[in-house]
Amino acid sequence: MMSSVPGSDKKSKLLVYTIEECPVCGQKTKRAFAVGDYVTKEAAKCSKCGNPTRIGLVYAESMKPSR
Amino acid sequence: MSVLEGGVLQLFPGVNASDLVTLVWIGFFALTFLYQTRIQSYLALSEISRGLNKLKVMKDKARKDTIDYLVNVGKATNDPSPRVDQFLDYVAIMPVDMDPAGIVGKIDHIVTTNNDRVRAEVGALLNQNNPVTVSISENLLEVATSLNQIHKIVRHYYLLGKKTNSYFTLVQLQMLMPMIIQEADALLNAVDSFKLGQPVGDGIGPIVVSRFMAGKEKRVIAKDTVMAITEYKGRKLYVLKADGPMAYVGQPGVAIQKIVGEMGVKPSAIVMIDAALKLEGEKTGEIAEGVGAAIGGIGVEKFQIEEAATRVKVPLYAILVKQSILEAITVMRKEIAEAADKVTQVLNRVIEEKTKEGDEIVVAGIGNTLGVAQ
Ligand SMILES: [Zn+2]
Repeated sequence: MMSSVPGSDKKSKLLVYTIEECPVCGQKTKRAFAVGDYVTKEAAKCSKCGNPTRIGLVYAESMKPSR
Repeated sequence: MSVLEGGVLQLFPGVNASDLVTLVWIGFFALTFLYQTRIQSYLALSEISRGLNKLKVMKDKARKDTIDYLVNVGKATNDPSPRVDQFLDYVAIMPVDMDPAGIVGKIDHIVTTNNDRVRAEVGALLNQNNPVTVSISENLLEVATSLNQIHKIVRHYYLLGKKTNSYFTLVQLQMLMPMIIQEADALLNAVDSFKLGQPVGDGIGPIVVSRFMAGKEKRVIAKDTVMAITEYKGRKLYVLKADGPMAYVGQPGVAIQKIVGEMGVKPSAIVMIDAALKLEGEKTGEIAEGVGAAIGGIGVEKFQIEEAATRVKVPLYAILVKQSILEAITVMRKEIAEAADKVTQVLNRVIEEKTKEGDEIVVAGIGNTLGVAQ
């Protein structure tokens, strides 16, 4: 009977990254997410071969030090 | 003791201090025994009231964030607060189900009317027509409305329980409270992801199919829904998802009906990729396969897809990515994003195993496509 209401549990802070993928050489670059980013959007030139990259993924990782 | 023994206890000869202590104990137990439900009710009331305060803070924050977004990003010209408040209490009345034949069409009609209304009103409120901003505003309003509803319902049972002194109402509510707060918390967290236009966990299906659609010609096949035709190992794929990067879920049901109906495609399989609610203990990002229409929501789309598949006798295959409700409506976690490659492999395998060269296949990425174009 004595259940308790949990607070918004202390979530570890999430950091959001954007992964740019080069369609030619497959090079992947990880950078911080910027507003306006979306998957398949054309992104910066590939650092390896100079072709335009595309955003392949946007995801969040918790800031917790790795287990 | 000496005071007692010399004073009050003198009035009751033969009663000593230890008897008195025993008496007090018995009295205490009797009271606890007789009033235990009262005491429990009191504890429940104070606990629910704490939760209720938390819900109020949450719904107020969602409302404020929505208004801020409408003003700052949407450039709303007038103060949108009164309009937003009206919005929070807007109801969609579901059709009567005494005679359930044809009810899906009626529900569809009401839901579509409601969605159209939301978009029109948001469009009128904003001083710009960027479809991403409009769609995000729609979603924010929906979240704020849900939180408002949750708060209202909990408050209703709290006050009802208090007024009627109903022990069972209060205790039931008290037991549900942690789950309610958890769900409300998920909704509130969704606000942050939506505001920034980040893909949410539910967008895993759209991400996978967007890879098949990249560089292909896209056509609008249903409201907010796009389709592309592509090829995989000699099979012709009809790939569809909601139109991104807007926060749309589209109408995959209508789209699939159109493909197998009007367009006269005779697919040998329909594969649906969707996020699925995991059970506690299951790992986020785990992939499950199955048969059937993998789609959530009120049931209209599911019905349409099942109906279309049954009509043309096409097997429905499902590929699901497990996640919690929080993960599904907030920014996509790494574990889910990284499942995209595995899902693609599973999809390829399903296509290779279940169909042969020359076949036609429908592949649908189900879910909110915020932050995922094609
Ligand atoms: Zn490159």
